Amino acid sequence: MGILFTRMFSSVFGNKEARILVLGLDNAGKTTILYRLQMGEVVATIPTIGFNVETVQYNNIKFQVWDLGGQTSIRPYWRCYFPNTQAIIYVVDSSDTDRLAIAKDEFHAILEEEELKGAVVLIFANKQDLPGALDDAGVTESLELHKIKNRQWAIFKTSAIKGEGLFEGLDWLSNTLKSGA
Amino acid sequence: MSGHDSKYFSTTKKGEIPELKDELNSQYKDKRKDAVKKVIAAMTVGKDVSSLFTDVVNCMQTENLELKKLVYLYLINYAKSQPDLAILAVNTFVKDSQDPNPLIRALAVRTMGCIRVDKITEYLCDPLQKCLKDDDPYVRKTASICVAKLYDINAELVEDRGFLDTLKDLISDNNPMVVANAVAALAEIQENSTRPIFEITSNTLAKLLTALNECTEWGQVFILDALSKYKAADAREAENIVERVTPRLQHANCAVVLSAVKMILLQMELITSTDVVRNLCKKMAPPLVTLLSAEPEIQYVALRNINLIVQRRPTILAHEIKVFFCKYNDPIYVKMEKLEIMIKLASDRNIDQVLLEFKEYATEVDVDFVRKAVRAIGRCAIKLERAAERCISVLLELIKIKVNYVVQEAIIVIKDIFRRYPNTYESIIATLCESLDTLDEPEAKASMIWIIGEYAERIDNADELLESFLESFPEEPASVQLQLLTATVKLFLKKPTEGPQQMIQVVLNNATVETDNPDLRDRAYIYWRLLSTDPEAAKDVVLAEKPVISDDSNQIDSTLLDELLANIATLSSVYHKPPEAFVSRVKTAIQRPDDEEYPDGSETGYSETSSHAAESSGPAPTSSGTSPYAPTKQPGQAAGVAAPAAQMPDLLGDLIGLDNSLVPVDQPATPTGPPLPVLLPASSGEGLQISAQLTRRDGQIFYSMLFENNTQMALDGFMIQFNKNTFGLAAAGPLQVPQIQPGTSARTLLPMVLSQNVSPGPPSSVLQVAVKNNQQRVWYFNDKVSLLALLSEDGRMERADFLEKWKSLPDSNEVTKDLPGVVVNSVEATLDRLAASNMFFIAKRRHANQEVLYLSAKTSWGIPLLIELTAIVGIPGIKCAIKIPNLELAPLFFEATEAVLKG
Repeated sequence: MGILFTRMFSSVFGNKEARILVLGLDNAGKTTILYRLQMGEVVATIPTIGFNVETVQYNNIKFQVWDLGGQTSIRPYWRCYFPNTQAIIYVVDSSDTDRLAIAKDEFHAILEEEELKGAVVLIFANKQDLPGALDDAGVTESLELHKIKNRQWAIFKTSAIKGEGLFEGLDWLSNTLKSGA
Repeated sequence: MSGHDSKYFSTTKKGEIPELKDELNSQYKDKRKDAVKKVIAAMTVGKDVSSLFTDVVNCMQTENLELKKLVYLYLINYAKSQPDLAILAVNTFVKDSQDPNPLIRALAVRTMGCIRVDKITEYLCDPLQKCLKDDDPYVRKTASICVAKLYDINAELVEDRGFLDTLKDLISDNNPMVVANAVAALAEIQENSTRPIFEITSNTLAKLLTALNECTEWGQVFILDALSKYKAADAREAENIVERVTPRLQHANCAVVLSAVKMILLQMELITSTDVVRNLCKKMAPPLVTLLSAEPEIQYVALRNINLIVQRRPTILAHEIKVFFCKYNDPIYVKMEKLEIMIKLASDRNIDQVLLEFKEYATEVDVDFVRKAVRAIGRCAIKLERAAERCISVLLELIKIKVNYVVQEAIIVIKDIFRRYPNTYESIIATLCESLDTLDEPEAKASMIWIIGEYAERIDNADELLESFLESFPEEPASVQLQLLTATVKLFLKKPTEGPQQMIQVVLNNATVETDNPDLRDRAYIYWRLLSTDPEAAKDVVLAEKPVISDDSNQIDSTLLDELLANIATLSSVYHKPPEAFVSRVKTAIQRPDDEEYPDGSETGYSETSSHAAESSGPAPTSSGTSPYAPTKQPGQAAGVAAPAAQMPDLLGDLIGLDNSLVPVDQPATPTGPPLPVLLPASSGEGLQISAQLTRRDGQIFYSMLFENNTQMALDGFMIQFNKNTFGLAAAGPLQVPQIQPGTSARTLLPMVLSQNVSPGPPSSVLQVAVKNNQQRVWYFNDKVSLLALLSEDGRMERADFLEKWKSLPDSNEVTKDLPGVVVNSVEATLDRLAASNMFFIAKRRHANQEVLYLSAKTSWGIPLLIELTAIVGIPGIKCAIKIPNLELAPLFFEATEAVLKG
């Protein structure tokens, strides 16, 4: 049975890696999420000036995950990574309510991009472990997710430190990509 | 262009770059690696693949070391052309500098140092800091070099982050390679800094000496070079150091040997014991000799260095002269150097051998080598008194073979030998005279003529010989002409007979009238005056005993020699030039701002005022000392400013005041006054444009000039000349214009005087000017003299005087002219304007609706002008009448008045 499934999936995806971008403002937790997904542990991170790229195997799908630096100076270069992207993981620091408006603007700017028209969007309302963090509904509202049209999306409450919600999101992502392909 | 034409710009064809881009983004690792290889290959052959920057950088995070190296290589090459995108690589560098593999850590830190992009420099400090303290020596040694690179990019950052101290700590590292590289980095940083950063103490000295024995050859070179800058406290310490270093002399690497030699030579200065010195000299000889068995290129470097060494310590190689004998197959540059050293090593003991060699060389085929060999014989003769006779006999033998250039060269050196040993070898003159006709080189001719003149009394037919040269006097080069002149005078003084007397007439005439060489002319005039006033004095001067010469050609001045010896085993010791003479550091970019702010305010000598001007307006044009540098210091600015007559002491106060208004350096191209009229447009001046106008300031007439250099070269040596003119205007001093760089300009105020070279004939306002510089031919242009500049400040007259003058001049001296284009809107403003131009108001009356104004003026040379202006306020048109003793000036006056009133 297992072999059959593997074959089925590989016939769907080949051994092709799904290209996923992890975006979001600086200090949202992107790099921590990346290494939590890859290694299953929390690593000490410093602000990413540039990018990290790792391969994550989950649900028989290989994700090539690109974690891009979120600092203002680097955001303009996100677009260099847009081509051929299947999915975007947009990470939001749910406790940083002051900057949710900026996060919203950046998010909708990304959605406007022609090259990302076909990409599905997964939103992580991160840092749920912190006091004062908005829940998924609050983040949905702040990011005005209801405005998203013609695109599959989902939002999950996550805590990268505790490892909560990440794999649920990845489940959704793998299922969506499989069915979409 | 119709809308459809856009299709020509889009193409369906895929070029190489998009193809590579696709491959770089391939999902397959192998394909990506191949693609990066292709990119590097394209880069290597010079194709621009910088547009693939992000795609290549995205391949950077890989475990594949080969791929990583390739990407790094790409980054080093293109980071500068994509400074913004280079930031994308930072995170990978940071990660790689923490990689478990020390090779990758070192690779990352090395590459970081090669990326000279300001924006990312500061991000690299943290990884560098970590790598400097890495556990692996390979990483530490790589990181220490990176500090030197970083210092070159941003010195302040290095100092702030304390990297210098970390580097100094690394001198005590337990790994000799780390020590060597830390020393190399510190030495390089020290070279780029004016502050003392790296000073070897006795503590570090011990560590360096220990590391010296263990590290690689190039590490040894670094350490030896650093040690050679160490000043030992006393002779004992110096001896100890030398003892530790001496084994390096046996090293197979020439660079190590030379660096060790340098270091020992420098320490030897302190050693007093002659035994030790003698011993060391003995030890240094074999390694130096060994260097000469290497390839010719290395031989040459060794020879150039040995040349310096034997000048300081001839004993080292005194017994080794044979190794400097030229082999038949030595390249010419090696032969020439060997010859030079042979001369230096020649002594009474080995001269016979050396002469044999030289004689052999003098019969070879290479003309330059032969000449040098012949000259070498002469120089040996001058150097070694006891061998002089043998040398001369060799020279005579060589002359006998009658090879033209050998003979000429021999004559040149024999002249020097005569100077060195007067009244000893004159018997050979007869032999020399036989070859007289074959001489065709100036130096040889000049030498022969000198010999004839000097020994005219012993050469029976000296006059005939000289006469044969005289025939071609006008065609000879200056050096020969000068010698001919002197020799003829000597001949005349020694044999004041008829023949020489005629000759001297001819020569003096030629040299004073026919020639345009000022040196020759001046010398001829001095002789002429001497001969005509006091022939005895002439004898004392011309035939005076000359001091004996010694051979100091190719000897390097002692202080320079010290500097060169301290730089042995560098380019400096090969060029025989101090490093600063040929190394231009990019230091100018990081020049300290305080150096710039006070250029040389203290030199100007005008104390406060001028140094203030220097601060506020950059290079202050207050003295000719500062101004020539103005265009070079600030090449971007158009106005290199000339000194406006700084020589006139009574004007100094005013000039300083003028500077700010006249030459605002901030807005160089726009002087405060109206722009000067262009008199020599750039189109006719081959790129040089000259604008000029006569102006008057504080009772002094100036020629205000603006030179704009639109040529491709720097112009200098400007001179000016005014033709005779009606007013006798002439320059009161030389034209003070600095060198003008291409694309810049210079302003100057040339003080003028009147009545210098008045041209007769009908008066004319034309002023003919000639300007020349060192680069171009002479430019002529015409200016029109404006009477305004020539009206004097003291032209005001008393009313009574005015009336009297008016009456005394007959009506025939009154001229009237209508100036239709002029309108008087306000009498006061008009009068002010006229007064500013030195036309002074006397009286006013109203006649119907007309205003009649009376004014007086006086030219600088004292001619009074009585003026009557009739105008209706607000209505164009004015009637201008003047009474003047000198009617020719009237038209000029009308022009000037019209200019003022219209102005």
